[in-house]
Amino acid sequence: MTAREVVELIKKNASTPWNERSTRDTFKAGDPDVTVKGIATTMMVTFDMLKRANAAGMNMVITHEDTFWNDRDDTKDLARNPLFKLKTEYILKNDMVIWRDHDNMHASTPDYTVVGELRSAGIPVGTGGSDHVTMRPGILTIPETTLGELAAQVKRSSGARALRCVGDPTARVSKILVGPGYATPRMTPEVDVIIGGEQQEADGDFDNVEYVIDAVSLGMPKGVIMLGHVISEQAGMKDFGDWLRTFLHDIPIRFVPAEEPYW
Amino acid sequence: MKSRHISRRRFALMAGTAGAVPLGIVSLDLAGTEPLTAAAVVRRIQTALGGDWPSAGPDGFKAGDPSTVVKGIATTAMATMDVLQQAVQANTNLIVTYEPTFYSRADGAVDSPPGRGSAAGGNDPVIKAKREFIEKNGLVVFRLRDHWQARKENDRVTGLAGALGWRARAVSDKAGNGNAVYEIPAATAEATVAVIRSKLKLRAGLRVVGDRNAIIRRVLLIPGSMTATTLWLRYSEVDMIVAGEVREWENTHYAADIFTSGEKRALVTIGRVVSEDPGMAVCAEWLKTIVKEVPAKWIGVGDPYWRPA
Repeated sequence: MTAREVVELIKKNASTPWNERSTRDTFKAGDPDVTVKGIATTMMVTFDMLKRANAAGMNMVITHEDTFWNDRDDTKDLARNPLFKLKTEYILKNDMVIWRDHDNMHASTPDYTVVGELRSAGIPVGTGGSDHVTMRPGILTIPETTLGELAAQVKRSSGARALRCVGDPTARVSKILVGPGYATPRMTPEVDVIIGGEQQEADGDFDNVEYVIDAVSLGMPKGVIMLGHVISEQAGMKDFGDWLRTFLHDIPIRFVPAEEPYW
Repeated sequence: MKSRHISRRRFALMAGTAGAVPLGIVSLDLAGTEPLTAAAVVRRIQTALGGDWPSAGPDGFKAGDPSTVVKGIATTAMATMDVLQQAVQANTNLIVTYEPTFYSRADGAVDSPPGRGSAAGGNDPVIKAKREFIEKNGLVVFRLRDHWQARKENDRVTGLAGALGWRARAVSDKAGNGNAVYEIPAATAEATVAVIRSKLKLRAGLRVVGDRNAIIRRVLLIPGSMTATTLWLRYSEVDMIVAGEVREWENTHYAADIFTSGEKRALVTIGRVVSEDPGMAVCAEWLKTIVKEVPAKWIGVGDPYWRPA
């Protein structure tokens, strides 16, 4: 089976009609007609992840994030970049092929990135199970705890070394809003804690960091827990691989995580 | 200088009080004998920095009455509640902030069109309480971003270099201008990061990707947000970049791949606001040269992030 045929099967089995207009969800490097020996699913096809996938005999990589270090995977400014040359040559030399599933994944139910994020955060999804998790799962109510205790639990469950928190660690919290990657949700008066991947710190569409600092100063204790982009969306790519196995029976499928990049 | 004679209409728009601005402000200021108002201080800033000051730009009054008599000026990277409280204690009432006051690019403008920028406006309890604090304490908040960062002196970079103890170590480019590259005493990335952490009093906001054993000598400083193309073009000419913030799936990804490729470098992100703090300390010193009637002081924001053990 070729990589192109694998992608056609993914489209056919998707929970929602496939959005063909997505400029993100395309082949990024390699020959789509190469025969697939194995599929590696990952949150981000870093050079390190690529090497581990190749060592494991997986020549098709399905990545949630970009290959060439910008959201649009625009390579026109990279033609003479030595790292671009190195990475593309590695892909071609090893008969590898990279395909991205981003926009359609976030439009699906479940959105596997959020399934993984909730598990990483140690927050049970609730009676509905993870089958109904969308990109915007709404406010989740957890047993009341403190922000400090919740942050410690999230750090343990996710394994994130470079977790960043804002707010009063002694704040009593129970209303949680999560969002994957850069789609860190906006803090509102009803929410106690936002859990996200990353966010522009200030001067953006909504500046959670300053809002939470000020809410605490004004006696409205709240918090933000930022997992980092990779950690926030990573775990769900394993679930995505499990889903692939439901219709791809003859191809080895392996979850090859990207490393958390920070010391 | 284009901004020398700002029309009343233009000024009223800048002040966000179109139609209601007291017409007396401009003539009182020109007389030079009246008490110094926030509007008069801002006109001096505008004259000194020059350029056009469009009402649609980020720079302008964000809260308070521009006709307020100024007792003292506080500069800050971000006018948080904590900063405003310190400003009141220091007997300053004009706050000059680099970042927004009301949590978005739209800066809490209650009349911003729906769907553009933040929907959080006058009814949000945090914004409401902050506005009440500003009014109760007679504060005026002015945002100074675009025109401050446009200064050829590049104060944001030199300010950050000064805070790191590297100001005298600038490597000049061919034109003789500072190009934000500094040559520092050679040390490992790990040791250099320890210096950065201690000088800037950083907590969890400091994050590093790259080779911890790399020998660091040339460092590029990029306060604020760094674009992906800046990293592609400049990472390989230095040993370390110290930036405010980046997009993790773009720049952090690139720096991780550079590490995998065997290049001995490190990318350090310290937090956007922390990286802009020292530049606003320079702003306070600069304000003293154009406003001599009242004191000007800098109030730092600091690293807002923490991490559980």
